[in-house]
Amino acid sequence: MLVAIFQNIINALQWGSFYALIALGYTLVYGVLTLINFAHGDIFMVGAYIAFFVATFFLTTVGVPGWVALALTIPLTMILTSMVGVALERVAYRPLRRKGANRLYVVITALMCGLILQNANLALLGASRKAFPSMITEHVYNVGGVIFTDLKIAVIVTTILSFFALQKIVTKTKVGMAMRAISYDKFAVPLMGVPIDNIIVVTFVLGSGMAGLAGILFAMSYPILDPYMGALIGWKAFIAAVVGGIGDIRGAFLGGFLLGAVEIMVVAFFPSTFRDLIAFTVLLVILAFRPTGLFGVAKTTKI
Amino acid sequence: MLLSVENLEVKYGNIQPLHGISFHVNEGEIVTLIGANGAGKTTSLHSICRLAPPEAPRVIAGDIKFRGESILKTSPSDVVKNLKMALVPEGRHIFGNLTVMENLELATYSREKGADLKQEYQRIFDLFPRLHERRQQRSESLSGGEQQMLAVGRALMTGCTFLLLDEPSMGLAPRLKYDLFRTLKRLNEEGMTILLIEQNASLALHLAHRGYVLDTGEIAAEGTSDELLGNPDVKKAYLGG
Repeated sequence: MLVAIFQNIINALQWGSFYALIALGYTLVYGVLTLINFAHGDIFMVGAYIAFFVATFFLTTVGVPGWVALALTIPLTMILTSMVGVALERVAYRPLRRKGANRLYVVITALMCGLILQNANLALLGASRKAFPSMITEHVYNVGGVIFTDLKIAVIVTTILSFFALQKIVTKTKVGMAMRAISYDKFAVPLMGVPIDNIIVVTFVLGSGMAGLAGILFAMSYPILDPYMGALIGWKAFIAAVVGGIGDIRGAFLGGFLLGAVEIMVVAFFPSTFRDLIAFTVLLVILAFRPTGLFGVAKTTKI
Repeated sequence: MLLSVENLEVKYGNIQPLHGISFHVNEGEIVTLIGANGAGKTTSLHSICRLAPPEAPRVIAGDIKFRGESILKTSPSDVVKNLKMALVPEGRHIFGNLTVMENLELATYSREKGADLKQEYQRIFDLFPRLHERRQQRSESLSGGEQQMLAVGRALMTGCTFLLLDEPSMGLAPRLKYDLFRTLKRLNEEGMTILLIEQNASLALHLAHRGYVLDTGEIAAEGTSDELLGNPDVKKAYLGG
């Protein structure tokens, strides 16, 4: 029994890690711009594909050993995925912001951006799935009957470290202060000598970087890629961010792990076809009791 | 001449709040713009600070010059960073989710790295001892008067040499109002140039060296404070007879 509990906890943490990493991106952008960046799940997908190309390049074209390829692929994937996020901001969101567009149009634009990323991928790479190359050999450990791999542990640890790094940036640095200030009163931020566009770019860099990290970790854990892989997981991560209290990175982190835990627990006791049904029902109940999410505070939006 | 506004006409959408106004501010002066609601006072300040669209007015004619050079293409953050002008906006606009200290720290965003700011924080806390007491509190928990102090302190922490204030006395108890104006006088004596917008024309003219009276987007009168205080039209319209 105890073994089963520990086994499920490890599985839940690993599965929740992906939601948490993606949810962090949703919540950062929402916190700063009150924009639900519905393209974010697809940025995660793009991150996984970028990781695929970068890893393949290093493994086959350059021919470096697997761990070297991994060490190069992680930062490069994060940087390139950040650039995709920033490009989206530049091309799609900034012009709307400049013109003071209604939120509805911005949200629709975000949805369309996601669809464009999916379909651009489909058009360029075709419908066939891609197998992610293996860079390291996974080791399986068995501690008292609890079975886990080093990759699983690495996913969990990386997620937790990323969260603390992000938390530090948001609470301790001036850029982080500016990010929080924008969420409270956008009007006064430039009056402090803070170039608002730069802060928004940093926000997209951080959020998309996290999505890129999630992309590579996911692709290593479940090495099959397809253009729609970001859609459902993106929606779920968004819900996780809302349940945690959107705009608060602690909320995104906890919400992600909570959703992971609920899904794993459901599968442990029910047929796997029940997974999403029960998981979403649980989240619905949580929101019914705490409509602002676990960490959210009720606040009036001015837009 | 530090700042000159020349025949400025601006629009918000289809509304034109300024119909070609001109005024100037010399270094070390306190200048006030007085006038009724809707006369274009706030619009003038927002235009000078180059607030970005969509919040900001669009200049359709005329110019705004800082030391003789047009600043119409300057970004609002560069107005603070390079021209050292800081606006204390109407309604304070403090960052309520940040602590008092964080509000002050954020204002140093564009300042040189490694600049020694300790003395400057100390100066703010000398001017406004209440802020020191409350420096670790979330600033939305401050009283209205304390928030106004924070708004002024924050503007000073940008390292400005030119302070623009939009209705700073609004909503303040009379005593706090006088305290604030005394502080402004002291800052000016230490070299700060000040452009002040104020509904309370008498208070503003007693502080300022010169003033302009705005009426529906045009300059209706101008002169030294004494001239304006003695002007019968101004007296009748703005000084309660």
